[in-house]
Amino acid sequence: MIRIITFLALYSYLTPEPVYALQSHGEPEGLFAHQIAHILFSVSMIFLAYWLKSNNFTRERGWRLIQISCILFFIWNLVAFCGHYVEVKLPSKLIEGTGSGWDQALLLSGSPYSLYYYFLKMDHLICVPALACLFLGLRNLYKKTLMKVAADK
Amino acid sequence: MTGYYSLAPVWISDVVGSALMLIISFGAIYYAHRLRNAEPSSIIWMYLLVLSAALAGFSISRAVAHLAKHAMLMAGYPHMWEFFRPYTGAFNSIAFIVVASVTFFFPKVQKINSEILNDKRALEQATRDIKALNRDLEALVERRTRQLSVSERKYRGIFEGSMDTIFVLNQKFIFEDINPTGLSLLGYDSLEDFIGKISLADIFVSNSDHTQFLEDISRSGAIKDMECRIRNSSGAELVVLLSVTVTTKDLSRRTNYVGIAKDITVRRRMEKQLHQADRLASLGQTAAGVAHELNTPLGIILGYTQLLLRNCQESDALHSDLKIIEKQTNNCKRIVQDLLKFARNSETKKSDVDLIECFKEAISLFGHQFEKEGVIVETRFENNLPKVFADGEKLKQVLVNLLVNAKQAISGNGLIIVTMKLNPDRRAVIVSISDNGCGMSTDTVEKIFDPFFTTKPVGVGTGLGLSVSYGIIQAHGGALEVESEEGVGSTFHITLPLTDQNHQNIYPDNLQ
Repeated sequence: MIRIITFLALYSYLTPEPVYALQSHGEPEGLFAHQIAHILFSVSMIFLAYWLKSNNFTRERGWRLIQISCILFFIWNLVAFCGHYVEVKLPSKLIEGTGSGWDQALLLSGSPYSLYYYFLKMDHLICVPALACLFLGLRNLYKKTLMKVAADK
Repeated sequence: MTGYYSLAPVWISDVVGSALMLIISFGAIYYAHRLRNAEPSSIIWMYLLVLSAALAGFSISRAVAHLAKHAMLMAGYPHMWEFFRPYTGAFNSIAFIVVASVTFFFPKVQKINSEILNDKRALEQATRDIKALNRDLEALVERRTRQLSVSERKYRGIFEGSMDTIFVLNQKFIFEDINPTGLSLLGYDSLEDFIGKISLADIFVSNSDHTQFLEDISRSGAIKDMECRIRNSSGAELVVLLSVTVTTKDLSRRTNYVGIAKDITVRRRMEKQLHQADRLASLGQTAAGVAHELNTPLGIILGYTQLLLRNCQESDALHSDLKIIEKQTNNCKRIVQDLLKFARNSETKKSDVDLIECFKEAISLFGHQFEKEGVIVETRFENNLPKVFADGEKLKQVLVNLLVNAKQAISGNGLIIVTMKLNPDRRAVIVSISDNGCGMSTDTVEKIFDPFFTTKPVGVGTGLGLSVSYGIIQAHGGALEVESEEGVGSTFHITLPLTDQNHQNIYPDNLQ
């Protein structure tokens, strides 16, 4: 093994070639990283929901709410993932008007993605309930913990 | 569905949703934080706090960015939004990865934490158990020590207070411990002189006893009531019943022996004396019968002989023959009288006798002869010796017999010690006559009082002296005993009981 390593070291030293230490990152890499983060997030939420179930945490209401929150976050990640994809595919000329969107309009017949884009952009309808379930679950657990601590005392 | 559709619903959901996310995420952080504070050691609440924080970070990034985006676009600064947009996107990505990371790692961490907590609980329980055990152990040790102390005192009391000898021997049969009775029996003053220095072999008188002991103990591991003779430090022989056993059950690993020795010397001596007394009593009856039967014919022979002598002149040849018959008949009559004395059938005339005076009269008969032959007679008389109620003449005869015997036992110069004293309970007078003569063997001692038994040459003695003495002393309710060692000398002890009157004469204050 030492001989092989020594040979390779000598070979690489004696036959120099240009190296590219820094790799350039083009435009889509940011989107890809974001999409991969969505995938990781969604998988972790499903994993957590399964773990809570398999460890019998969900017998308590608080943990059940957190499990629901996990499922909703999983769905939201799928929606967001698709939304980003559709946004890229949708030509910008299909949106008429300038500004923040209050006075903008979308040409639904302009692309097969137009209709998906319209609904997928309203992802808060899933994201907010997911967060609300987490909040309610934590509040429930807190109340129960307070009672348990008081009972222990 | 072919025309333009307003994006106002999307705008509304975005703005309202962003605002709600901000509020709810802070609410979630609030409760997660409170949970964490309620149970700081819980890893689950820690996880939920991190998860809530990451989601709040995401919510802030997303909601603020979305609200700012709308504000910037409405205000006509789209380039500013283009500037901030990559930052918010990157921050969201990081928040997702953080949430995913802590979520993926949480079960593992929770498992490790759970194991640590279980171990901690087990450790705490073990500590409590050990403390309780320690507490109980102290009490248990204290209780057992108390029991042990009681037991030790009990067995030490048995050991120390036993009237029999109790001892412990090591593997080489050397004494490791012995009780005070045993130490006293063997004649030692302190344990230091005895323990570890004296072995069982040292005290056995006979090698055959020692060999028998070793054979029995190696064969069966125990010895019960083995009668053997031992010797104490002053050389006196004792008869003991020896019982020894090994202290371990495994005979191949015997390390110690525990034994008990019961001193039966006095019992054996008493048995021997009783046996001798029985034998002598039986002999006395026989002798008395023979004496009675011989006494009459001897009297007739003597009478007729004397009648014939009266009618016979001294010059007559028959006269000398009749004289011989008369002399021998008188000898026979004396022997018969001695036999009767031995059988205690002779008459006794008792009165208060001063033993010292009695002795002086006895010694006056041949004192000068003793001096001439180099035998010194030493007297050791206790002061105020009471008189005894006895036949003075017969006692004198006894003293003469014993003194003559003592003198004959001494060849050449010697010493005779005559001691007179009260016995320990002061109910009898003991007269002891010791000599440093040739002494007697055990066999001789056993037969010394038998009639006609003598160690003297034929013609020197009849063998009735000690028998007669024995009979006289027995007739006085006393005892005649002998101690003798070959080559060392002999001692005769005469025990004469005091009558109540004699006893009161010693202690007049006792009279009530």
